[in-house]
Amino acid sequence: MAISDTAIVAYAETKIVLKSDKDVWALGAEVLEELLNKTGLDKSEIDGLALSSSQTGAGNCFWAQSTADQLALEVDYCQTTDIGGCSPAGALARAAAAIIAGMCETVFCLFSDTQNRENNSRPRHYQAEWTAPLGLLGPPTSFGFITNRYEHQFGLDYAMLGKLAVAQRNGAVLNDLACEKLRTPITIEDYVNSRMIADPIRLLDSVMVCDGASGLILMSRKKAEKKGFTKAVIPVGYGERTSYQFSENIVDVTDTGHLPAGAKAFKQAGITAKDVASFHPYDDFIIAMMLQMEMLGFCKKGQGCDYIREHDFNFNGDLPLNTGGGQISAGQVGLAGGGTNLIEAVRQLFGEGGKRQVKNTRNALVTGIGGIPYARNWSTSAVLVLTPNG
Amino acid sequence: MTAINDTLHIERQAPAFRSYSEPYWNGTKEKKLLVQYDKAANRYQWYPRATSRFNGKASNLEWREVKGAGEIYSFTTVRRARPPFQGHEPFFLAVVTLPEGVQIMGNTVGITKEEMKIGLKVKPYWHPLPGGYHMLMWQKA
Repeated sequence: MAISDTAIVAYAETKIVLKSDKDVWALGAEVLEELLNKTGLDKSEIDGLALSSSQTGAGNCFWAQSTADQLALEVDYCQTTDIGGCSPAGALARAAAAIIAGMCETVFCLFSDTQNRENNSRPRHYQAEWTAPLGLLGPPTSFGFITNRYEHQFGLDYAMLGKLAVAQRNGAVLNDLACEKLRTPITIEDYVNSRMIADPIRLLDSVMVCDGASGLILMSRKKAEKKGFTKAVIPVGYGERTSYQFSENIVDVTDTGHLPAGAKAFKQAGITAKDVASFHPYDDFIIAMMLQMEMLGFCKKGQGCDYIREHDFNFNGDLPLNTGGGQISAGQVGLAGGGTNLIEAVRQLFGEGGKRQVKNTRNALVTGIGGIPYARNWSTSAVLVLTPNG
Repeated sequence: MTAINDTLHIERQAPAFRSYSEPYWNGTKEKKLLVQYDKAANRYQWYPRATSRFNGKASNLEWREVKGAGEIYSFTTVRRARPPFQGHEPFFLAVVTLPEGVQIMGNTVGITKEEMKIGLKVKPYWHPLPGGYHMLMWQKA
């Protein structure tokens, strides 16, 4: 069996809000109910629970188990995937692996975080010793020097980064689930003139942390067919890389783990970047999407700005990109934020994009970025190729 | 010339260190820049880790003093920070490449906005911390 022997039969997503007035488990319950209603499944048929990381759940070393308890899910597979922003795609891949291994048949993948309402995160990594004492704010600072270095090596047209920001914002305007605060159109000038956070990272480069939840039901394709799910989305390729080139002291920070992860996912799926119908890259910062375009082979390294200049990234453009706004314009649901672009890709392939439905639903490419390492770009890169069934 | 804050007036302490990084922090008491060195790989590594990033064998590691003759690899101007850095922005955060083949991050002292650039030569500036430790910062060479 392979990952493509599994099928996503339903997806669900809550409204993304700045600060939730509901508990993280209440949001999880909302997602569960929507999935049960959509699929007609009985709760007892769910025999697997796959969770993404969560800043709310982070203080609890029994996060997956406690969530299974709260939602009263009796399961044979129960696991949290903790690779930062790659966690939702990673949880989906692990759920598929568990199904393939025969551990379970029907997995509820839940990506929930209420970081603004309740942040229990207490990370243990290099930062307390090596970067917090330098006043490093975290991701914006890291992306500040990644961006400066990129500009030094290749040159950088900030208007092209702005073009991506504008396309995403256009998507958020059409997305009723996006955080309301972000649902006003912007221009390239707004992007370029937005205030600096960590030069040259601007406010409109960055995500705004929000609260929310999303999820999906993954089952074996065989079971999906038996249960009569005529509409489904198939994960046909997945690649993941953690600590890319970490055995080296000095690397090119414009190289990312999406190079090997993408090659693996594309090979499994039997496609290349030029076949991608819609692109849903992880967007913690605008430039991260351009770096991924280069690593995944949409264009050559250093030519991201030229590529962006030549393409239209709106839902009705030639390469629709994060059509619901992405995290930057829909709001970043903490460590579950990778779920937003994943769910949007699934929604598009179900043909349920509504006002922002893409025309070409042959496939969708979803990625993840997770973790900020010392003087590097990121810790984990994930690449997932989805196709509709049939 | 546009001055960028040098962060010297911010109250900060030596961080809690780990069993394997203690030699570095003790070295800063004498303003010594100690870097882990892998005897088998004949290479330095930074930041201090529990094992060799080259071959996974901690027993290959020892500490060697380096001069800190650095060059700016990249930098950012931090304009938003958390306490105790809040209110002291803007300040620089730089990634510095040493000839020993490692990169060390740090704040800068006395480098103006106009002077700061990738490739700028720098050397250590040791800022005193409570307990006799020092914080490694970077100044123009």
